[in-house]
Amino acid sequence: MAIINQATRELQVKIVYYGPAMGGKTTNLVQVHDHVQTGQGNKGKLVSLATSSDRTLFFDFLPIEAMSIKGFKTKFQLYTVPGQVIYNTTRQLVLRGVDGIVFVADSQYEKMAENVESFQNLQDNLKSLKLDIDDIPYVLQYNKRDLPNVAPVEYMDFLLNNRDIQVPSFTGCANKCEGVFETLNMITRMLLHKFVNQSQPQYA
Amino acid sequence: MGTLPQLIEEDITLLDGALRELLVKSEASTALIADKGGFLITSKGNDQDFDLTSIAALASGAFMASQVIASLAQETGFNSTYQQGENFNIYIQCVDENCLLLVLFPATVGVGAVKYFAGTTCQKIAAQMLAAEQRDPSSMGLDLSVLNVADASGFFKKRD
Repeated sequence: MAIINQATRELQVKIVYYGPAMGGKTTNLVQVHDHVQTGQGNKGKLVSLATSSDRTLFFDFLPIEAMSIKGFKTKFQLYTVPGQVIYNTTRQLVLRGVDGIVFVADSQYEKMAENVESFQNLQDNLKSLKLDIDDIPYVLQYNKRDLPNVAPVEYMDFLLNNRDIQVPSFTGCANKCEGVFETLNMITRMLLHKFVNQSQPQYA
Repeated sequence: MGTLPQLIEEDITLLDGALRELLVKSEASTALIADKGGFLITSKGNDQDFDLTSIAALASGAFMASQVIASLAQETGFNSTYQQGENFNIYIQCVDENCLLLVLFPATVGVGAVKYFAGTTCQKIAAQMLAAEQRDPSSMGLDLSVLNVADASGFFKKRD
C-alpha cells in the first residue's frame, strides 16, 4: 500500500494498469510519459520489460512526481501488467502493494469475452493477495473507440461496471492520447480522497 | 499481505544511519531500502549515477519473482540474491515481510564482506520497522486533509 514518509513529507502511490492483452495498457503509459507536463526532473524513465515483439513480459514502469501541494510531494508509480493469459504469476507480483487500478478494456465486440475474463482474473488475483476490489479505487477505460466494430458504452458498462457501486468509466483512444489523462486524473482523485478520509480520524 | 507503517523522521534518521554504517564497513557504493511493492524508502551513498527509483522497482520485482521460482523448486524462499557484473554487483537481502535491502558495490569489493555486514544492517532495519509498526498512529502529525483533492482533475496536465 501507499508509503507515507513523514520525514520527507512524501506520499508514494502505486497505480496498476490492468486488462486483456493488446488492450492498450502500455500505450497509456507511453502517452503519459510523452505528454505529461512536469517540472524538470519530476518524470522518470519509462522502463519496459518487453519481448522482442514489444509485448509486455514482466511490466512497464513509469515514476512521476506530481506537483507539490502545500509541501507534500506526491509520487506516483504507474505499472502495467502483461495481459497475456499465461503470465498470471507476473500479474500477481505486480499487483503487490497496489493502491489504485485502471482497467483498460478493448472496445471491439470480439474482445468482450477477454475483457470479462481479465476483469474476473483481476478479482481473483486481488483475492490471492487478500485484497477486495471493492476496497481498492479503480476506474474503467474503454479503449480503441476509433475502431469500426466497437461495442456501445452501455453494453460495456453492463459487462464490466455492473456491480453495486458503479465506478467512473472513460472512453479512450490511447494511441491518440484521448481519454488517457482523464482516466489518470480520475484515479488520482479517487486515491487522494481515500487517503484524506483515512488520515482524518487520527486527528479527530 | 502486510503493509508498510508510516515512517517519521526518527525512523528515517535511524535507517539512514544503518545504511551509512553499512557503506563504511563494506566499502559498497550505494545502499537502499525498498518496499516489496517497488517503492524506494530511503537510500545512502552514490545516487547521482544510478536511477534509484527504477532500481528499487525493478529489483523488488526481480526479487519477488525469485521467490516464486523458489516455490517452484520446492524451496521455502530465497533470502537473498546476488547479481554479478563486470563493474558493479548488486546484493539484495530480505529484511522482513515488507521490505528489502539493496546494496550496489564495485566489482572490486568482495561479496562476502557485503553479505556479512548486510546481515547486521537488516536486523537494525527490521527492528526500526517493527518500532514504527507498533507506534500509536494517533501520535503522528501528518494531516493529509490539507491536500486539495477537489482540484485533482488537473493533477496531471497534458502538454500541448
